[in-house]
Amino acid sequence: MADVTLKNVWKRYGEFVAVRDLTLAVEEGEFLVLLGPSGCGKTTTMRLVAGLDYASAGDISIAGRRVNDILPKYRDVAMVFQSYALYPHMSVFQNIEYPLKVRGIPREERRLQVLEAARKVAIEDYLERLPRALSGGQRQRVALARALVRRPTVFLMDEPLSNLDAKLRVQMRAELKHLHHELKTTTIYVTHDQIEALTLASRVAVMNKGVIQQLASPRDIYNDPANLFVAGFIGSPGMNFLSGEVVSGQFEARDVRVPVPLSGERKNIVLGIRPEDLSVAADSAGGQIHGRVFSVELTGDSALLTVMVDETLVTVRVDKDFTAAVDAPVALAVVPGRSFLFDAASEQRLRA
Amino acid sequence: MVAWVVIAFALVYTVFPVFWLFSNSLKSRLDMFAVPPLLIPHPTLYNYIQAFVERPFLIYMLNSLIVAVFTTILSLAIGTMAGYALARYDYGRAKRHVAFWILSTRMMPPIVSIVPLYIFFSVLHLLDSKMTLVIAYTGFNLPFVTWMMRSYFADIPRDLEESAQIDGDTALGAFLRIILPLARPGLAATAIFCLILSWNEFLFALILTETENANTLPIGIAGRITQYKTEWGEISASGFAACVPIVLFAFAVQRHLVRGLSFGAVKG
Repeated sequence: MADVTLKNVWKRYGEFVAVRDLTLAVEEGEFLVLLGPSGCGKTTTMRLVAGLDYASAGDISIAGRRVNDILPKYRDVAMVFQSYALYPHMSVFQNIEYPLKVRGIPREERRLQVLEAARKVAIEDYLERLPRALSGGQRQRVALARALVRRPTVFLMDEPLSNLDAKLRVQMRAELKHLHHELKTTTIYVTHDQIEALTLASRVAVMNKGVIQQLASPRDIYNDPANLFVAGFIGSPGMNFLSGEVVSGQFEARDVRVPVPLSGERKNIVLGIRPEDLSVAADSAGGQIHGRVFSVELTGDSALLTVMVDETLVTVRVDKDFTAAVDAPVALAVVPGRSFLFDAASEQRLRA
Repeated sequence: MVAWVVIAFALVYTVFPVFWLFSNSLKSRLDMFAVPPLLIPHPTLYNYIQAFVERPFLIYMLNSLIVAVFTTILSLAIGTMAGYALARYDYGRAKRHVAFWILSTRMMPPIVSIVPLYIFFSVLHLLDSKMTLVIAYTGFNLPFVTWMMRSYFADIPRDLEESAQIDGDTALGAFLRIILPLARPGLAATAIFCLILSWNEFLFALILTETENANTLPIGIAGRITQYKTEWGEISASGFAACVPIVLFAFAVQRHLVRGLSFGAVKG
């Protein structure tokens, strides 16, 4: 049974549509990530589930109960804010205790539950401190402890890692994943960071302009994008796009000829290839894409070769020892079967 | 060097009058007009005894204290809630107008409203009463309290209340348990402001009070300038005594005046 369902949900602010006819079912125990650029409606969607904003239309249910008109406190959700929203005048203990206290749970029981939650996120040594005496990572843990102390039906997390420095973010990401594995609580997680989305999620919902563009497992989101937006948004460096046409089983553009599994003739086609699915051909004859070297950047474990093809820049992931002179002619080969075709007008994926 | 001169000048400008007041309050009538002026007096408590034993300055002071304290409590209670509503609740275009309208009541000089107020209170048989002063002072404190508290509340991140709501608290509970404690520096500053304003107020007290029943300190002090002579000694003594409660209160709440309590709420 689905734990959280949204059915034809709209959210309008005056003329502006933040969420457009959104339908989504989050399964029990699932870790669902809402991913998208800022302003895509992902945070609004989460706030609708939390009850901090009210839907203009549609139904929102949590654990089978319609919650549209129910106050946040009766929805049995807990939320971790981007800013953590710790209460600055309360100690760590009081912060974690607060959700239990306002629900009238007896003192001794509260103490045990707070200690248990604090132990789960390894902050039991800091219970008497005020939030301002904690580091960013410790504050993050307190916010987590406060969310999980109540054992809610659903966790909501709004970009919880984005205020941490890069190293800590990787560590907390792993801890979040472990915590979810341990608690198995249904989680909705909002982020604009695709790495977070791909590493944490059971399923990812990629959003843009208030609409879910694709809802699938991280693997499918990456390997089988539904449209141009998803293809371009996921992956770093991003997917290469070339505009052209399909002529008898072959994608053609200036200096480009790539065999594709699409028969017939079609104009206004976009060919998408990820940088790791391209390689430098040994000789000019073996290449399907021809251009000149624009730059070579070493990133550590590999290098990025950028090639100017006609008037488009194409990025190729190459071996870290690769060298080439700027402006030297270069030929590229595509890994067979690893290119995607899109209709330039509808931006939808074209499948064989 | 220049800085020291400026500081010295500022100190003379602000501290010397207080010192002179204190010095005069301890002088005999003869010393007060000595030429050259006597900076350090041959101290005598005569003026204090005159003011507080022979004359009813103790009662004036008590009146002032009662009026100021109740005015402050009432103004804070109402103004804080009004400021919170203005800072947090969205009720469309009316909001701007309400906020401006509240402030606009302070745009006319108080003397404009004194005649209508006098008639108003006289019809209600409320003249010469401490309660009347409390009502009148609350009226003119409220716009300031509302606006000051509004800006303090606006600085507190909204996430905190939203978090409190999800954690299971009511809107009122979140206000009392989370927001109000964080606004403590603002409350302290606003309280001092209210206290000083009502403590120093002269015009309303002059018109609306008559006897020891409600006369406040400023009225009592001004009363020592009589048709025949000015009692500088009593004026100095009671004037200096009038400073003391306010200074003590300011010391008491100084700790809360330090802002930054809400730091640590936002980010790491």
